[in-house]
Amino acid sequence: MAEQKTIRLKIRRQDGPNKPFHWEEFEIAYREKSNVISCLMEIQKNPVTASGKKTTPVVWECNCLEEVCGACTMNINGQGKQACSALVDQLDQPIVLEPLTKFPLVRDLMVDRQIMFDHLKTVHAWIPIDGTYNLGSGPRMPEVKRQWAYELSKCMTCGCCMEACPQVNSRSKFIGPSAISQVRLFNTHPTGEMNKHERLAALLDEGGIADCGNSQNCVRACPKEIPLTTSLADLNRETNKFALDQWLRK
Amino acid sequence: MSTTQSPYHFLIRRVHSILGLVPIGFFLTFHLILNLTALGGAKQYDLIISTMQSFSGIFIIELVVIFIPIAVHAIYGTWVVYTGQANILRYKYARNWFYIIQRISGLYTFVFVIIHVYLLRFGEANFSALSQFLSQPLGLLFYVLGVLFSIFHFTNGLWAFAITWGLTIGPHSQKVWLYTLGVVFVLLSAIGMSDIFAFLK
Repeated sequence: MAEQKTIRLKIRRQDGPNKPFHWEEFEIAYREKSNVISCLMEIQKNPVTASGKKTTPVVWECNCLEEVCGACTMNINGQGKQACSALVDQLDQPIVLEPLTKFPLVRDLMVDRQIMFDHLKTVHAWIPIDGTYNLGSGPRMPEVKRQWAYELSKCMTCGCCMEACPQVNSRSKFIGPSAISQVRLFNTHPTGEMNKHERLAALLDEGGIADCGNSQNCVRACPKEIPLTTSLADLNRETNKFALDQWLRK
Repeated sequence: MSTTQSPYHFLIRRVHSILGLVPIGFFLTFHLILNLTALGGAKQYDLIISTMQSFSGIFIIELVVIFIPIAVHAIYGTWVVYTGQANILRYKYARNWFYIIQRISGLYTFVFVIIHVYLLRFGEANFSALSQFLSQPLGLLFYVLGVLFSIFHFTNGLWAFAITWGLTIGPHSQKVWLYTLGVVFVLLSAIGMSDIFAFLK
């Protein structure tokens, strides 16, 4: 691979949500250890296609450049990935860049992932600790729990699991694996556990855990290797117990 | 915070899941095993069928234990298929294949069961009627696929059933259950193929 003189990219261009799309190919000089972001920056400097046509710079989002923020997530050669940690030397060329398909498009490779934040609100993915007086310190968390809960906390709401999930689409209200896994994280926390019922109740609703189709693509697609399918199965058990208990107490 | 959600969505998905095993899965297994009696020849088979059909109240049992559960499972299942969007060309994982085959096999089985019941339950239910149907190559293919797809749908459904009910949580237990069900699939398929073979003479 190192002998290659150029890096070829094929990018799906679209000026706005309701505009037509077209493909543009670019060829840039090979540089060792490039990632997709550095290629996009190179194109930004000189936005000319491989056939020599002048064009607009490609629009994309990025922040941290170390795979912790999720902002640069896009479809790279057909799969959701972070452009910052997608290394050119490990990718087939031309590198095909497309925006994520499960979110509303803003422009080119930039999408609006607001629904992921909305889903976190739906499942109460936070711990309410505000009071009118000092509530003191909370209960301790057992170390064994902390260790696996930490893995769940690595979620950066990048949307790779949503992109890979066949159950997340315009015909379904499924909130996706990431928000559901956050329920497990916050329900495991000793203080968060106090509001466990609110999060489990949210998962019983349409679009909740019952809409999972067990394709298990999410756990394969997750760049942070979060055990999403374990979270889903665990919450299946929890929601079953919760739903039955609620019903029997009626 | 009070919940304004209605729990019916969760309930119907869980009912859909349990119907696949009780009674449909049990009925499928019983049906496949009972049909092995066809290996004993037309006379024995026709005698068993007519004995079963002469039971008083058989129609009520068929309606409640077989027809209604299958109809509910199949109609709701068709809706579930509609709400999915397969992406096997982009994510070529084994489980993603199972996801799509589960849906294809479910739809096929739905059509298969309708024709199967129309021909044999409301039509002439005897050895020679099925034997004649299976003597045509397309009829045989239709049945072989119907039997294999319904068994696949049942066994792969049991794999997801164990997750839906929170029995297999980690990847290891899910894998052990997968291999166990692989054995069940092979056994049931062998029985199903023997059933079909019995009518080919």
